[in-house]
Amino acid sequence: MTKRVSLRGALFGAVAFLGLSAPASAAEPGLTDKEILIGLFAPMSGPLAAFGFDPLQAAKMWYEEINKKGGIHGRKIRIIVEDDKCTPTEAVAVVKKFATVDKVFIINGGSCTAAAVAAQEFVTREKIPFVMLNAAGDGAVIPPTRYVFGAFGGTQRTVGATIMEFAIKELKGKRVAFIAHDDDFGNSNWGTAKAVAARMGAEVVAIERIPPRIADVTAPMLKVRAANPDVVISTAYPAPAVLIAQKYAEYGMTKIPLVQAVQGVPIPAVFAKNVGNPAALANFYYGSPLNDLTDGPKQQKWIDLYKKYYPDRKAGAFMTYGLPSAMALTMALEKAGKDVTREKFVDAMETLDFDTGVLAGPIAFAKDRRDGHRASIFVKFDGTKHTLMPGTYFWNGKDGM
Amino acid sequence: MLPLIFQALASGVVTGCVYSLIALSLVIVYKSTDVINFAGGEIVMIGGYLGMFALLFLGLPYVLIFPFGAVVIFALGAAFDRVVLHKVLGRAAPGQSILVAMVIATVGLSYVLKGSARVVPYTEEVRRLPPLFAGEPIVLGPVILQPQDVAIVVIAVVVMLALWGFFAFTLTGKALRATSQNPRAAALVGIPVRTMRMTVWGIASALAAIAGILLAPKLLMTPDMGVIVILAFAAAIIGGFTSLPGCILGGIVLGVIQNLVGLFVASNAISVAPFVVIMLILALRPQGLLGGRVVAKKV
Amino acid sequence: MFGSPSLARLAPLLLLPALGLLLPGHLPQYYLYLGNVIMMYAVLAIGLDLLLGWAGQFAFAHIAFFGIGVYGTALLQIRLKLPFILAMPGAALLAGLIGLLIAIPATRLRAVYLALATFAFAEGAQWVFNAWESMTNGADGLRIPAPSLFGHVMGNDPAAFPLVATLLALVLAATLYLTTSKLGRALCAVRESEHAAAASGIDVRGTKIVAFAISAVYAGVAGGMYTLYESFTNPEVFGFAQIVLVLSMIVVGGLGSVPGVLIGTVILGVLPTVLRTTMRDLLVWQELVYGVILILAMMFMPRGIWGLVRRKRRAVRP
Repeated sequence: MTKRVSLRGALFGAVAFLGLSAPASAAEPGLTDKEILIGLFAPMSGPLAAFGFDPLQAAKMWYEEINKKGGIHGRKIRIIVEDDKCTPTEAVAVVKKFATVDKVFIINGGSCTAAAVAAQEFVTREKIPFVMLNAAGDGAVIPPTRYVFGAFGGTQRTVGATIMEFAIKELKGKRVAFIAHDDDFGNSNWGTAKAVAARMGAEVVAIERIPPRIADVTAPMLKVRAANPDVVISTAYPAPAVLIAQKYAEYGMTKIPLVQAVQGVPIPAVFAKNVGNPAALANFYYGSPLNDLTDGPKQQKWIDLYKKYYPDRKAGAFMTYGLPSAMALTMALEKAGKDVTREKFVDAMETLDFDTGVLAGPIAFAKDRRDGHRASIFVKFDGTKHTLMPGTYFWNGKDGM
Repeated sequence: MLPLIFQALASGVVTGCVYSLIALSLVIVYKSTDVINFAGGEIVMIGGYLGMFALLFLGLPYVLIFPFGAVVIFALGAAFDRVVLHKVLGRAAPGQSILVAMVIATVGLSYVLKGSARVVPYTEEVRRLPPLFAGEPIVLGPVILQPQDVAIVVIAVVVMLALWGFFAFTLTGKALRATSQNPRAAALVGIPVRTMRMTVWGIASALAAIAGILLAPKLLMTPDMGVIVILAFAAAIIGGFTSLPGCILGGIVLGVIQNLVGLFVASNAISVAPFVVIMLILALRPQGLLGGRVVAKKV
Repeated sequence: MFGSPSLARLAPLLLLPALGLLLPGHLPQYYLYLGNVIMMYAVLAIGLDLLLGWAGQFAFAHIAFFGIGVYGTALLQIRLKLPFILAMPGAALLAGLIGLLIAIPATRLRAVYLALATFAFAEGAQWVFNAWESMTNGADGLRIPAPSLFGHVMGNDPAAFPLVATLLALVLAATLYLTTSKLGRALCAVRESEHAAAASGIDVRGTKIVAFAISAVYAGVAGGMYTLYESFTNPEVFGFAQIVLVLSMIVVGGLGSVPGVLIGTVILGVLPTVLRTTMRDLLVWQELVYGVILILAMMFMPRGIWGLVRRKRRAVRP
């Protein structure tokens, strides 16, 4: 008897929890004569918060700068911030909340690819412009879909293509060893790297796909050494990146250049300290999508501005990555004119091609292009001194597709 | 090919001892209190960070960070048992639900520890503690090892022997064993069961902290480094989950198998190898390599 | 008490499909999404509770069967062009079958060994989802086609909501039948004492194997429900954190009772949302607070909220 009553009670309880609130409808949601409402999200907590916290703050700062200058066509930007923890489930929840509860005009956010991909279907169906923050976003921008814009720090396809071209052109690699993770990042960067190597006539003598949580890189590094490469490339994350550099030195490979992608060396000084062995950095290079060294004058200007806005917080390694997305968004709003709609905004985004003052290359979109940035620079680093290598490298958008 | 295999074996032994050290802390908790400690990895992590902060911000000399970390984490572990687990034990129904409630409590602890580490800005980047024993690599024919690697192996074996001696020969150790075998009988002969449980949690946690400080130079530190506990569980299972020497053996077997799989199968199979090994071992020899016969738990 | 459940006990379940039809017109999609997620988790948690709370088997493999349900339902539609109405039961049966195969060796193991063996199986399954790229599209993730049922296309929350609610009602009804049946009694007997159960003529190992398989079918059904409202999945969804979440739902709500598990599912299902929206400037502390809540729940109500409610109610009676 007790059981029956309780089950019913639980069901009624669930209904009560859901609550009832009547949805309202508007012609162009989130837009009034005075205001544009933007939903901004990033991981603000959890394991990947470092990727999202500062970029989100930086985007917020940019919007405040725009508001200080009088807004866009007389409208001020108002933002609502949410935390997606970089998990697909939470990202979908946040995006649905923005769209159907807060009723924002545009969604700006996402620092992780899987989270962005998970949200893509929904924004496409609801026809809401979704401008990613700093996610690489391969799966969400390739193939392109109308409402989703991203890769404001470059896709992993760009990372793979540019690092391979650098190894072949600048480091004269003919026998390249490539180390990538066995996840979506690795799939994308290895895909284009392989294509570039084939096009430029270099041989890939070893390809090691390692798990992101690997504790001992002995086996893959022994296989890399046995393959006798003339350049070693790694697109691993920070912890395995350090282990790889250590083993590379331990196994006496320091005559061979080692190139690491940006995700392995977020803060070069910390990386050098972690490796702890100057010999490992005798012949070391890292890639970056920025237009300067992380503390170079072109980046410092943004760091100073950030300090003015958030005096209590020291800008992390990814801070400036949050700016280009907000810049593109406001620029497209400007271009779309006073009587902007979501559709006009998307059309305006498609025509963008501009230099951000943050990144190595321009941000550009087109009808059939949704990945904004395709450039990398490379830096030689011996543990203390950074030397910018000549040239900017681009993914041509075709290799590996 | 042969030199490659030697190097892979040697590295596997060292990494395996890393797993073993953490596994030891899991096994002594399980043996004595029947709790599967899912916060074991996070205690290792907190130990490592504590050592690093003591070194950087308190300016302690390197050798002193070991006792410092051990004492602080001993207190943390003992307090967790006294404040949380004791309460859970007192309120839960006996049997399966107690086991599950305890597991969820340790999962809660793991979130608390991870969450506490995360709010310190310093932990945003991957960090590495400088090794205790720095110096030139040791070259033995085809095998290259770091001094810290050798230290890890030696310390793992010493700790295992010390624990074994403690449980076999000291009065406290014997009382602990009695408590774990039959708490009611132990209480009847005057063993303070509650204090014993606290002591075990303290010792196991201190051990995990020392492991953390020792391993931080090799594993690199992030608030999420605790996931390595999965491999420690694997090592413990292979060794039998109740046997201290089994733990060491299990870890070494695991480390070596991972490297051989990496060498001869594929690098991305390294992460699945432990689980295949667990399933094989449990299917063929449920008590593990060195585990005693499986005895039904008395009610 | 035992025997088939009376109509009066089943009638309240009709409320679910009724709400399922009623609510989509009145609620913003966001709330419907949360509702779908919670109803899916309810099925997942009740399935695990059959094994854990009723049969007393501490196993972690559940999340792997959930994965088989999700990938199975999606892939049967993509590869074999099966309609959803065949794909979901097919995937659930597949999960049940694999559960059966796992149960045969696993039921020989006890307590910690069973927990760790099934944990290893779950990790292995996640690895397979990641590595079997030609089938699951690996780490890049799989786009789930919008399923349709008799011309009613789902794949978004309002459209999926009625069906998700109906499936939950069916699962609850099945659970009522199951737990009041002879098998239900056998499960409880095995949980209380395997020796006593064997002495009274119950096939202990057979009962455990059946419990395993049924529990796996539940997880498979939950997987099918997931494909109704989600458009994307990747191997990350089937990790350790997920199984810990489902376990917490069961234990916080109340092990071995359907209403308890439902309460736990709702509470832990909305907790992340509540923390996210109430901790505005303190978002980084969410993880810590979540851990503290779990610990406090175990300290002060180790038999779950339902255990607390029942004790209160008993205390009120003279």
